[in-house]
Amino acid sequence: MAGLAPVPEPATTGAGIFSPLARRQYRALARMRLHMLANNVRSVQGAFELGARTVTFLIYAFLGCALSAGLCIGAYIMASRTMWHSLPMLFWITFIVWQVVPIALASFQEQFEISGILRFPVSFPSFYLLQLVFGLVDVPVILGGLCCLGIYVGIVLARPQYFFWTALVLAIFAVFNIITARAILAWIDRWMAQRRTREIVSAVFLVLMLSLQLLNPVLYQKENRARRSHPAHANSQHGSREITAWTRSLSTVVQWLPPGLAAEGLRESVEHHPVHALESFCLLGLYILGAGGVLMTRLRAEFSGENLSEAPVRVKVAAGKRTWLIDGSGPIAAVIEKELRTLPRAMPVLFAIGAPLLTVLIVGTVLRNSFPAETSPFRLAFPLCVSYTLLGFAPIIYNNLGAEGTGIQILFLSPTPMRTVLLAKNLFHALLYAVVSILAGIFAASRLGTPDGILLAVTAAWLLFALPTNLAAGNLLSLAMPYRMNLGRLSRQRGSQTSALISMLVQLGVIAVGLAVFELSELMEKTWLAALVLLVLAAVMFLVWMAVLRRTDSMAARNKDRLIEVLAKRE
Amino acid sequence: MDTPAIQTHGLTRRFGSLTAVEDVTFSVAAGEFFGFLGPNGAGKSTTIKMLTGLLEPTSGTMEILGEPFGAGATSLKRQIGVVPEGMALLGRLTAPEYLRFVGRMYGLDRDTVNQRTEELLEFMQLANERRKLITDFSHGMQKKLALAAAVIHGPRVLFLDEPFEGVDAIAAGMLKTLLQGMINRGATIFLTSHVLEIVERLCDHVAIIHQGSLVANGSLEELRAGVASTLPGSDSPQRLTLEEIFLNIVGAGGQEQAQELSWLA
Repeated sequence: MAGLAPVPEPATTGAGIFSPLARRQYRALARMRLHMLANNVRSVQGAFELGARTVTFLIYAFLGCALSAGLCIGAYIMASRTMWHSLPMLFWITFIVWQVVPIALASFQEQFEISGILRFPVSFPSFYLLQLVFGLVDVPVILGGLCCLGIYVGIVLARPQYFFWTALVLAIFAVFNIITARAILAWIDRWMAQRRTREIVSAVFLVLMLSLQLLNPVLYQKENRARRSHPAHANSQHGSREITAWTRSLSTVVQWLPPGLAAEGLRESVEHHPVHALESFCLLGLYILGAGGVLMTRLRAEFSGENLSEAPVRVKVAAGKRTWLIDGSGPIAAVIEKELRTLPRAMPVLFAIGAPLLTVLIVGTVLRNSFPAETSPFRLAFPLCVSYTLLGFAPIIYNNLGAEGTGIQILFLSPTPMRTVLLAKNLFHALLYAVVSILAGIFAASRLGTPDGILLAVTAAWLLFALPTNLAAGNLLSLAMPYRMNLGRLSRQRGSQTSALISMLVQLGVIAVGLAVFELSELMEKTWLAALVLLVLAAVMFLVWMAVLRRTDSMAARNKDRLIEVLAKRE
Repeated sequence: MDTPAIQTHGLTRRFGSLTAVEDVTFSVAAGEFFGFLGPNGAGKSTTIKMLTGLLEPTSGTMEILGEPFGAGATSLKRQIGVVPEGMALLGRLTAPEYLRFVGRMYGLDRDTVNQRTEELLEFMQLANERRKLITDFSHGMQKKLALAAAVIHGPRVLFLDEPFEGVDAIAAGMLKTLLQGMINRGATIFLTSHVLEIVERLCDHVAIIHQGSLVANGSLEELRAGVASTLPGSDSPQRLTLEEIFLNIVGAGGQEQAQELSWLA
């Protein structure tokens, strides 16, 4: 046929993980990713995105290096002083970083949706391998990898002769972490995909938070009882004995968990107990197989074309009597009600809001237990805890149209101006933040002690300053750099690094201003002045927010094409 | 003479160096069922987006119900309903929640919104799916819901971008009844569709856009007569189907090449 090259033979078939067909597919995917990367910089926004991604990468690399250096020093000390019994601590830190960071970053990171390749003749082993390989240069893996590297360098510097065993143990441990992280995210996405499982997970999450809340009073009760029964020893001696006993009982459990096994395996190998070391490795291998099996179950279902949609409701459902949550038929009430109804179904948003709250609770509890009851860890702990929860709002404040999807078109088609829509969203987010910050305040006060009246006033004034600042910047960024957010998923989102970076800078700036004002007023020994200055700043920022809101109509009209293109595109 | 429901003058839209729609001028009379046809990439959706305010024209003007339509034409927006290309649905809401949201965005009062929501859900046979999230709807169900949302405020002009795509025969029949009912009550409908049989059956007037320019515009009879005059030996233009008219006007390029793809089974 004229103009067309001769048709090649169909690619070699085969189901093997490295069959010729699979290798061709891997090459095609790698080339596709490269093309996507190259095509990204063809637009201005794409170039910004790449720049922001590089900056973000450098920030995380710096954090990873700092963490790695800390672990390196720790490992060096432990190895040189033969403190092998403390080694599990380093492995636990690495494990937590590796498993918690992916979930924390899941909502903001761009991740390639690998299940899209299932329409091609991909074998299950290839699909499984690709699920593991894609994302190996993601932030969590880099952080975890740097942690492992830190431990390796520390041990090898102290004991060069153990370079092989250390490398082997850390490699096995890394494989375990990669598989486990993938399995956790895959299952979370599965549970979040259906209403019933979503509700169960939310309930478990709530129970977990309540349990943590109850944990502290229980521990205190126990301590008080001990003090009453040993009044003469109501001092640190008794406390340290209790802690030692508690640590000992805890260590018997954790030594059978993967980080403990990895550390144990390393210790046994360097102490020339190969049989015991082998036992640990075998158990760790079993964990890897278990995590791999858990991931395989999930991927097998996905590979078989599992439909995660809700089960069809065929029964006749009577029309609901309570159809309105917010009365009034105005557009502001309509948008707030829509947001209110969407919120419980939006796992990434719930997670983004809930995770900092949980962190405040945990960190507060840890700090409380680390300091004597009558002393507060440091004065700014309360405002910092409260301000920290604002971080969780970044994805919804700085991309407040991102969850609309194709629904963005209805906002442009309806006679409601965009500023009304954004005003309603801002009001809803402010209200939500008020609830979350009050909760954070209660958590922080219960853990770290009630702050004095002036500090409370300064914190409240700072919040009044921070909120309009973030909302104003959020409105601008939402219109200028929107990105689509899939509310049904925790992972595999398509975030914008530029937006994330700018939002982080604004938030850091707001915190820096608050700190500077507070410290200056402390220097002048007039702390109340900070509240006053922050209130003035809040008033200014409120006016800025109103000015921005007035401009949003024209800005939305200018960016209409891009907003619709980005948010309404089909997945 | 009655004011046309839709009127455009030299409507043009460029994307960088690409001209998607060029100098399109046409008029749709009030109460008319207007079919806007064209091959893929001809500029149909771009035109509909400009007419509904989703896209700014590079140049040219347009009037809806006799008023110039541009950004911020709030009162005009209340008069029009749209089923856009992406359907404009909010996936994490249920169908009643979405309809109520849209109704309120168009400023309807509470009782009207509730009543119309229930009626539309019943009519579209979605009443039994009221607890399901829209994201879990089938494509056809989503189309029905998008149409219900487009008409909830009782628009005088309705723009439909491919409303029959992915809709089964039963639902298509139902949609046709609804649209015909609207026409009977005086509404104007602007429809793009690739299902030419439906356009032929429903539309009074048809315009064809090709490579961004309007290449035909008139009633079916006028188009038949026009095409028949170019066909040698065609003595019965009334037998020409819309598909034949369409293929004749836009050309059937690619058919010969397709026959040459010898490696296809």
